[in-house]
Amino acid sequence: MSKKRIVHYINQFFGGIGGEEKADIKPEVKEGVVGPGMALQTALKDEGEIVATIICGDSYFNENLEEAKVEVLNLVKKYDADLFIAGPAFNAGRYGVACGTIADAVKNELGIPSMTGMYPENPGADMFKKSVHIIETGNSAAKMRKAIPLMASLATKMLHGEEIGSPEEDNYIPMGVRKNYFHDVRGSKRAVNMLMKKMSGEAFTTEYPMPNFDRVDPLPPVKDITKAKVALVTSGGIVPKGNPDRIESSSASKYGKYDIEDLGDLLESSHETAHGGYDPTYANADADCVLPVDVLRDLEKEGKIKELHRYFYTTTGNGTSVASSKAFAEEFSQELIKDGVDAVILTST
Amino acid sequence: MDLENQQRVKDLTEKHGAENVVVLIGAAEAEAAGLAAETVTNGDPTFAGPLAGVQLGLRVFHAVEETFKSAVDEGVYDDQIGMMEMVLEVDEIIEEMEEIRGEFGKFND
Repeated sequence: MSKKRIVHYINQFFGGIGGEEKADIKPEVKEGVVGPGMALQTALKDEGEIVATIICGDSYFNENLEEAKVEVLNLVKKYDADLFIAGPAFNAGRYGVACGTIADAVKNELGIPSMTGMYPENPGADMFKKSVHIIETGNSAAKMRKAIPLMASLATKMLHGEEIGSPEEDNYIPMGVRKNYFHDVRGSKRAVNMLMKKMSGEAFTTEYPMPNFDRVDPLPPVKDITKAKVALVTSGGIVPKGNPDRIESSSASKYGKYDIEDLGDLLESSHETAHGGYDPTYANADADCVLPVDVLRDLEKEGKIKELHRYFYTTTGNGTSVASSKAFAEEFSQELIKDGVDAVILTST
Repeated sequence: MDLENQQRVKDLTEKHGAENVVVLIGAAEAEAAGLAAETVTNGDPTFAGPLAGVQLGLRVFHAVEETFKSAVDEGVYDDQIGMMEMVLEVDEIIEEMEEIRGEFGKFND
């Protein structure tokens, strides 16, 4: 049986062409191993052979994403690869994005098994961890010696078509895949055991690790709220009756911006909630209980705030990703600033 | 170790022979010293430079090691390196250097 064929992708630096000044080179191919490929080939022994190495400048790839992808895919096809390996990219951002993009394209467009390696904080890891196996590496090339055996081990499994184990077993960044299996101890017992360990200060491993959310430092308090223009923003899904922009009841892909200039109170006939994650009975009967327009109008009249901003912004927080929420807020915060809003009240459900 | 320095070490070793070359390192941290030492013995650990996959196995020492210290004038050493010796993690550096020499050095005399 002939040896399995591997194509390896690296950047200009690891290709020995140069640093930042050579980052705009177009993809080129060299037969056999180059740079880290030497170490990979040694670690792979006879399991497979790196038949070609594609070298591409990080700037070129990122600035010409579509063309570069096509060029690299054509090269991979030409060498009739059984496996594609990109990197490892460690914590190099543009290199990581290039490795993730191309490994994803090879896997999903050519149907060839593919993998890469990165430091978990590499932006490429966040972008592609769900679609590609990314071996978790240290943050710099100094950790190459540790990364190579892990890359080679997963590569060997892929070459043999063996089933890939859990992220812990095969050292890749969790892809967010849940797999059912039978545990010999029932859930309640495992949970109590975990709690007992926690209470006695022993080490325990959670079965459901929480994602890492960033923490936002609060801004200094509003100096004089009676002079402030206040806006309402909600993740409680309050929308004009009929949900004109069809904001999804969960995992929202958009937010709405609605005019309340002439409204003193949200009525059952005028507003409702699009949210699919709580009992909407009361919010539909009186949307002010989620988006308190009525109370803010009172405060406005009493001079406790200067004014209520004429638009409110809304989405459904139910299952909506942190990344989408951030993107929505980045966009409408600019509008709020432009409109001279001094303070925002965020209401949830 | 940057790519130019790797090339210099490679050229000098080709010119004089590995047995006649000693590399002296002044890195301030054990990890950096170890990486430089590994580069000139086992080859560039990042596999990016001219010494990738080239196992020169050269004799390599750090400036705070006894071998170097005892080979130079004590007064000059104190003037030039004495101060640094006080602030560096000397034991850590020495341990790292010994480990690399033991594992990859070809001239362990």
